[in-house]
Amino acid sequence: MTIEIGRLCVKIAGRDAGKKCVIIDILDDHYVMIDGETRRRRCNILHLEPLSQSLKVEKDATHGDVARALKEIGIEARATKPKPATQKPKAKRKTPEQLRVQKEEKKKLLGTVKPKKKEEKSEAKESTLEEKAGLAEEKKESASEAKSSEKKETKPKAAKVKSAKKPNLS
Amino acid sequence: MPAPRLRSRSLRKVHRKVPGGRTSLHHKRKKPKAPRCGNCGAVLKGIPREFPFRARKMAKTMKRPERPYGGVLCSRCMRQEMVNRFRQ
Repeated sequence: MTIEIGRLCVKIAGRDAGKKCVIIDILDDHYVMIDGETRRRRCNILHLEPLSQSLKVEKDATHGDVARALKEIGIEARATKPKPATQKPKAKRKTPEQLRVQKEEKKKLLGTVKPKKKEEKSEAKESTLEEKAGLAEEKKESASEAKSSEKKETKPKAAKVKSAKKPNLS
Repeated sequence: MPAPRLRSRSLRKVHRKVPGGRTSLHHKRKKPKAPRCGNCGAVLKGIPREFPFRARKMAKTMKRPERPYGGVLCSRCMRQEMVNRFRQ
């Protein structure tokens, strides 16, 4: 029994051991492609036991073709569950109406939340400034008063001294 | 002298280097024998040599090879068995 395309084999090794398969393609001296009861896969020739039967299978035959060929002998190929076609969610552009609605909503939000904070802050600032200004004025006033009082106090003293000194000198 | 319960040979002795620098003798439970091929008697690979209480916690795929006769026959005997089944 030679290794050729269409040769029925039994897999000897691995988790597919004991399952029948057909050679689809010969890759090199050691490896072949198999399909059938086993998974469609590359396989070492040493892991295959060729049987006397051979099927009419083309090179690189599809799994469906192999399954049909095997069904004639009475072997059911491995049924691969077809995956349900899933569509990727596409990024959709918003229509102008939707954008308008979005803008309006944003405006509403801005009208409700943000300005309040600003007002509070501005009020607080103003009040503080006013207070500061008031304080500063008071301070200035007090300082000027103190200065004036000092001046007043100093001047008469000097006058007094002068007045006191003059008679002595004279 | 070790404690009387440790003088039994059902425990294996392990020399352990302790943090103090000296080596002390520890007594440990012996591990179960490795499983063997039912045909040729070779030691099976891919099977943990653990106590049942520890092996029970392991996944099924960790406890034996995933192939026909996995955990019963060695791979060589299994291949021969497959060849014999289909060769006439």
